[in-house]
Parts: sequence; C-alpha cells; structure tokens
Amino acid sequence: MPFFQIDGEPVEYEPGEKVLSAVLRSGKIIPHYCYHPGMSVVATCRMCLVDVIDMGNGRPAPKLQTACSLDAMEGMKVETLNQKVEEGQKLVNEFLLVNHPLDCPVCDQSGECILQDYSFKYGSGKSEMDYSKRVNGWRDIGTFVAMERNRCIQCSRCDRFTREITGTNEFGMFNRGHELTLDTYADRPMTNKFQGNMADICPVGAITEKEFRFKRRVWKLKKNYSICTGCSSGCNVTIEHDRNEVFRLKPHENQNVNKWWLCDEGRLTYRMMNERKTRIPRPLGRVEGNLEGVSWEEAYGAIVKRVKELKPFPHEVLALTDTRASNEELFLLQKLLKEGFSSDNIFCPLPKWGQSESDFFINTLITTDKTPNRAGALALKIKGDEKNAKLKKVIEGELKVVFILGNPFEAESEIKEIIKRTQLVVHLGVFHNSWGEIADVVLPGQYYSEKEGTYTNKHQRVQSTEIAIQALRRTRPEWQILAELLQSLGQTSCFDSVPQVFAAMVQEAKAFSGVSFDEIGSLGIELKNKTKDTGMKVLVKQA
Amino acid sequence: MAEETLVLFKNIRNPKYDKSLAGYKRSGGFKSLKKVFGMKPEEVVQEVKESGLRGRGGAGFPTGLKWSFMAKGTGKPSYLIANADESEPGTCKDRELMLKDPHLFLEGLMISSYAIGCHHAYVYVRGEFFPAIKTLNAAVGELYADGLLGTNPLGSGFKLDITIHTGAGAYICGEESALLDSLEGKRGQPRVKPPFPAVSGFNGCPTSVNNVETLACIPFILSDGGAEAFKSFGPQNNSGTHLVSLSGHVNCPGVYELRMDVSMKDIIYDIGGGIRDGKKLKGVIPGGSSSPVMKADEVDVLYNFDDLAKIGTMLGSAAMMVFDEGTDIVKLLHRITRFYAHESCGQCTPCREGTHWSSQIIQDFLRGNGSDEKLKRLYRVGGNMLGTTLCALGDAAAMPIQSFVNKFPEEFRKYYATL
Ligand code: SF4
Ligand code: SF4
Ligand code: FES
Repeated sequence: MPFFQIDGEPVEYEPGEKVLSAVLRSGKIIPHYCYHPGMSVVATCRMCLVDVIDMGNGRPAPKLQTACSLDAMEGMKVETLNQKVEEGQKLVNEFLLVNHPLDCPVCDQSGECILQDYSFKYGSGKSEMDYSKRVNGWRDIGTFVAMERNRCIQCSRCDRFTREITGTNEFGMFNRGHELTLDTYADRPMTNKFQGNMADICPVGAITEKEFRFKRRVWKLKKNYSICTGCSSGCNVTIEHDRNEVFRLKPHENQNVNKWWLCDEGRLTYRMMNERKTRIPRPLGRVEGNLEGVSWEEAYGAIVKRVKELKPFPHEVLALTDTRASNEELFLLQKLLKEGFSSDNIFCPLPKWGQSESDFFINTLITTDKTPNRAGALALKIKGDEKNAKLKKVIEGELKVVFILGNPFEAESEIKEIIKRTQLVVHLGVFHNSWGEIADVVLPGQYYSEKEGTYTNKHQRVQSTEIAIQALRRTRPEWQILAELLQSLGQTSCFDSVPQVFAAMVQEAKAFSGVSFDEIGSLGIELKNKTKDTGMKVLVKQA
Repeated sequence: MAEETLVLFKNIRNPKYDKSLAGYKRSGGFKSLKKVFGMKPEEVVQEVKESGLRGRGGAGFPTGLKWSFMAKGTGKPSYLIANADESEPGTCKDRELMLKDPHLFLEGLMISSYAIGCHHAYVYVRGEFFPAIKTLNAAVGELYADGLLGTNPLGSGFKLDITIHTGAGAYICGEESALLDSLEGKRGQPRVKPPFPAVSGFNGCPTSVNNVETLACIPFILSDGGAEAFKSFGPQNNSGTHLVSLSGHVNCPGVYELRMDVSMKDIIYDIGGGIRDGKKLKGVIPGGSSSPVMKADEVDVLYNFDDLAKIGTMLGSAAMMVFDEGTDIVKLLHRITRFYAHESCGQCTPCREGTHWSSQIIQDFLRGNGSDEKLKRLYRVGGNMLGTTLCALGDAAAMPIQSFVNKFPEEFRKYYATL
C-alpha cells in the first residue's frame, strides 16, 4: 500500500482515501467533529486542520487544509503538531464556544463530550466573547431522543444520519448563518427506529437519549463488551453500569455485524438487566404441592432421587429449550440428555423468521427472530421445526422426565398441558414464567449480563459476552447448573469455565470444529461449517 | 480621455436598438453561432483559450481552461449553467445584459454549450430580478419559436434546450457548488471540493458554471478575427473589455464597458464625472464589497485583474464603490459585515460564528463602547475567518474587516477616544 508521512511517521492509505480516514485507521488522532467514517464528508467544522508541508510534489499547500477532505497522496508530508496547526485548532474551538452555553454541569454529555475534551486539549482556556449568546431552546425531536439546541455545534452529523443512514429524511438544517439550527421537518417528532444513534454520533450534548437523561454522570459508568440479545443480529454493545445497575447499552463498532449502529429496541433491553421483581431468587422445590425455597444441594438431591426412582427409558426423557440460551448451555443440555439418559429428545422452537431487504444497511439490522442464538441451536442440531410437528409426536408417547431451559414454546398451552402430567419437570430459568408453575424443581439461572457465554448470530458468527454486573447471590449460570446436574447424575465430565465447555463443544459438535475460544475476541468469528438453511425469508424491501 | 469600448454594449448603447430576436439578428446576431456550427467543439474551446478571456464572476479564472477540465467520456451528459445570480454588493452588470440585450447572452450560452457538448443548459437567475426573468423567458420563447433552440438549429444536427431557473434570493447560491445544490432542489450551500463541478457537478455530471458577462463575450470572440481583437483590448493576461459597475459618491454612476488598461483614477474622475458635490475622495472598494478597500492615494492604478492583485486588492466582479470624505468608515464596514453575517450559509464554523461576532463588535463601536482591545479583537476575529473556511465567503467577510482596520484605524478610534 502507498503511504504518506504524518509528523514524520509513515501512514498507509488505500488509493482514493482521505488523510483523516487513513490517520484514524492507523490509530493516530487528528481532532475532528463533523467527520464520521460512516457518512459523507462535509468538511464544515474545520477542526481537522493540518499543515501540508509537502503535497507530494515538493511544494507546500498555501494554507491549512482540512484532513477529512484532503486526498492522501504518495510522498505527502503532513504536520499536525506545529504552531500553525495549533493556532488553527485554537481559533476553530474558540468560534465553537462563542455561542455554546457551557452548561456542562447540567449536561448529560459531560465527560464524553468531544467539544469538552477538545476545548481542554486544544482550546485557549479563555473567551473574548462578551455579548449575550444565541438561544434556541429545547426540542422534543423524537420518541427516543431529545434535543437541547443551544448546545449544538452544527456539525450536521444528525442531518446526514437521517439522509444517508436511515433514509428517512426526517431531520434537517433550518435558517442560515449564525441562526442555523437543526430540527425535524414540519415540527413532527422523528419515528425512525434508530434514533439512539443520533445521540451517539452527536459530538456534544445537543441530542441525548431520553432514557438516560439525568440518570448518571458518565464517568461513573463502567463498561463491558457484550452483544445485544434483542434479536438474532447480535449487534455488539457495551453494557454501561454503575453499582450493579445497568444504565444503558451503547453500540460497539463491528464492521461485520452492526457497523456503528444499534436500534432503539435493542437499547431498551437494558431494562431487563435491572429487573428484580420477576426474577427467580433461589432454587425452589415442590413440597406438598407448593413451591418452596430449598438449597442447591437439596434441589440436586431431589432430582437425582426422582430419576433413580423413575428409571426412565431414553424415549421417556425430553428437554425443551428456547434459542436465548448460549451455545455452551445448549451443548451441555444436549450432553445431559445424551450422557445422563442416552436420549436425544431435545427440541427448540424454530419458527420461520424474516429480515427486510433494504438499500439502507441499518434496516437489515432488525430481524423478526427476537432470540440471539437460533443459529447456535441449528449448528448443534437441536431438533425442531416450524409447526413443532416432531415435538408433538414425541409428547404423544409416555414421558417421565422433562427439562425446560428458559421459556420455550411459551404460547403453546397444548404442549404445556401434556408436559404438566409428567412425573418430573425440572425448570432452569431466570424469570418466573408459566413453566415454573408446573415444575417440580426450579433452578435459578442468570441473565446474560451476569454470565459469560457465546452466541451465534444470523450470519453464524460466534460472539461472546462478558460478565457486566453481579448476579443475585443464590443464582448460578445455567452452564454451571447443567454441568453440576451432569455430575450429580454420575457422569465424569467436569466443567468449571465457559472456555472449557466451549473447547469440549469444538471437539464434539461438527459445526464448531476449527474455532477456538480465544479467536472470538471482541469481534467474533464466523463458523466454518455453516448451516445452509436458517429458515430466513426476505421481507418486502423497505423504501 | 477615457472612453467606453463597445463590444458587449454595442447594441445597448444604440438608443434605437430593438432587443427582440428580430432586432438582434438585424444588428448581426447569430452570425457567430452559424460559424461555430461549422467548427469542431475543440476548435471553439481553443479559440476561447486564445482570446485570454477570464471569468467575469469574480475569480477571474481563464474560461477556456475551465472548459477543458470538463470530464470526458464518462457516459454522463455535460451541463452548462449560466450563473445569473448576480448578488455581490455593488455589482449590476449582468442585469443590464439580461434586461437589455438578452439574445447576446443567450447566443453566448448556445455557442458555449456547443463547445462543451451540453444539450441542456440552465440559467440560474437571482430570484429578485423579476424584469430580467421576464425578458429571458420571452427571449427563450422566441428562440424556440424560431427553431434556434430545440433539435437541429440552423440545420446543424445539434440539440439544445435552455431552462431559466430562478433562485430564492440567497447570496451564497452565487457560489458555483451552492448554486448546483440549489438547482438540484436542495438547500443551497457550498460543497466540498474536490470533486470540482467539471468532474461532478449538476446531478453528479460534468458541469461548467459560467458568469453571464463571460458568456456574453463569446459571440464576439468567435466572430471573424474576434479572439485576436479581444486580446488586444487590454494588457497581457487581462484581455478584453469588461463591464464596470460604478457606484457611490460619483457624479455619473452606472455600468460602463471599458478596456482593461484604463486607470481607476480616470474611471472615477473622467467616466464617473468626479466626486459628488465637489468633495474629496476618501477611498474605493474596487471589486465588490468583499475586496480589500483602497485609500484615495492608491487609485492611480490600472483597473484590471493583475494590477489590482499587485497592490493587495482585487478586481472581483468589477464593482467599484466610491466614497467621499464625509463617509463614516465604521458604519460602512458595519453594513458590509452585517451583509455577510446575514448571507453566510452557516455550515462551517469560522464563517457562521465569525461573521456575526465581528458585526457585533463593530456595533459596539457604533454604540460608543469601543476600545483598543476591541479593535484588536475585531482584527483577530476577522483574520481567523481568512483561509479557514470551506468556501470563499469566509474570506470575503474577512478581507474588508482587515483592510478597513488596517487602512482607517483612526476612524475606529474616533468612536471611543476621549478628546
Ligand atoms: S445536534 Fe449534534 S449532531 Fe446534530 S448538528 Fe448539532 S452537534 Fe451535530
Ligand atoms: S464559508 Fe460561510 S458561506 Fe461558505 S460554506 Fe462556510 S459557512 Fe457557508
Ligand atoms: S472533521 Fe474535517 S472539517 Fe470537520
């Protein structure tokens, strides 16, 4: 690849690339506001000024250039640290603060505001503006975000977002000159499903998420990599939390999955992470018809005892799972049936799902499959079909032991009715649901923000989650519960970490062969042996 | 004794001239077009290059060269857009041409379209020019009726349509890329360059945007021996006659057609008939309100691109604004600065904030709140817009501020110094 020099160091670029883009990719920094790698270049904030001392032809550029719109050229020499550049940055920042309210103490962006950071780093520290500032006021611009127009620095990222990313054209520029404001057209609040991204890309506190406003100062938030489990796209996120409470999900860039974006519905899934009321707080066992709190040992003991009494044949054992469980959990459940009962009666719901085809990438992010791991279940060959016909056939015969993981077939009362009659129903779950009502033993699992795990998204990319917050004291991650059940039932396999389970899965499940846990990293890795038919149908093309 | 040289105004200066198509033809119109249809387009461009014609819109870029930059073989149509959004304060020459001799300009537009292979030309007229819009529409109607527009004019096999498009009255839409955005139906604001319009202009196609007066020069240049004659009308690199919009405190303001080797002094005292009411000259804004101001003792200079550039100012759109000793410089600068604050499109930071802030500072002086410190600040804020903005409007706003403060500092001090 050709290269140019920046402050004496070589930077590679792709032909046709702009200087700023190449520099940012190389990990170096040139301050900028209006440039966003996902949108067109407008070169209007003028913050990315650089001094071109050699344009590649031996001659310097006559004046400072904006790096975001400057074509990279072989042999070019660019300086970003000299006095001329510093003065340029200082003057641009001064202009940006001339009409900025400087209300950082009450602004949610404070702490992650680019204007604040740059003013500190490149600004002059004093203002010579002594007239009253421009006042535009607050606007309710959308269902998910609100706008404090006084703070806006007119970088037009939001304007380009609805034009180029969602194609909804709901947002635009109004008036001219120093009265230029950004607002929705015809005073109508925006309705696109991706408004939260506008809060992310707004470099200042002009657009903020309603959901997060005034909740927490951002520097208190701790961040963990994870994925959004709101649908089968598996968008990469950071879970941002403080004192064991989650405050928001933010997209985490992954060019192979969600690029820079996240949908609003996905953002709201953070609420479930803080849900306490409907959580199963401790193991429960049925004592004289009522579910009562028991210890883990009592629960496992009771299960083993019943299994020994019932001595079920393989076809009398059944496991049902939803596709929200992680790869490891599905794998261990399968193992439990196979090694504990020589059975392969494991089913999950597999309705058809759809994804819209669209000229705008972002629209393809939302799928109708609202579970994160359907592809994982398919890879592990967990049974199921669109109409649940195979499952219905199995439950026609006699059943003695049933394991339920999560909340599968929640709307299928017919299936539930039949399973209710079974002698032993063990339910592993995070929240109270109707399966708990018919279970004999309920084992409390953990929500995905509280445990490790890997999930396989719609493109059959395996991605992992980190432990973000601490789980309730008497719950255990499902993979651990399943491993302990295996042991209690006398099996020798012993797992005490997710990577260990993953390694076993790679050995035993063909679809996962050739993948290692370490390779997953923060960006995931695609399966090498892909399932051909994932049950996807393309929905009508969106405008 | 300076006098007019009539090329563009040949018809207009004739009191009996009839500006209809028939009248224009009677006075020799469309001969050049006919001749051009017998030439190759490249030859036409070459001829224009040789004439040394430089754009009359303000930047003074060689027209032939501009055309030769047009991307070829892209498979996309080429466009020619006449920039008739004349709005630089003090400039009123294009309006004269459109109003009083529309066919001269249209013939130029047609020849130029042929030269660059454009089959649909647009005239982007400033929205407030109601009479000119009417005249142009009528003239285009006549051309269609006569068969000079549409398919196969004069049996040439060429095809050309012309659309008159009216702007909505924004100064910034005179900037060529903002004009294109506006013409495309978008908010008119300058684009990032590159790509230049010659590569990706109107609807992403190769486009040339030319000023009305520039296009009006074309029929003469393409007439027999025209290019040579045109070149002879001024010093080297400053070819041809140009229209000077003379305004301000002179006895005879107006639009005059002059060679490029006439001095400013002659223009003011001879052509313009001297300063009004026998007063003394204080200064001149030489080329539209954005050009750096000149003091009275600087006016003994030839009025053309290069000679003005040599003394640190510019010809711009050749709009000369003359002011006498009674003029309040601070008020004048305030007016100019307010204009740019009002007309800034606002997308880029230094111009959006700087134009408004500097006009606030000048207002402070007018209210008696000036100080040495504020004068320095005004100079600094103005300078900070210079060369840091996306389009030339930032520079246009900065140059008057800096030159006024440089050349007339005592005028600002008058407002706050304790006597
Ligand atoms: S609201 Fe934010 S993103 Fe939009 S222009 Fe203003 S500062 Fe930029
Ligand atoms: S310099 Fe002024 S007019 Fe030109 S693009 Fe920037 S803000 Fe708009
Ligand atoms: S990032 Fe280059 S001008 Fe804004």
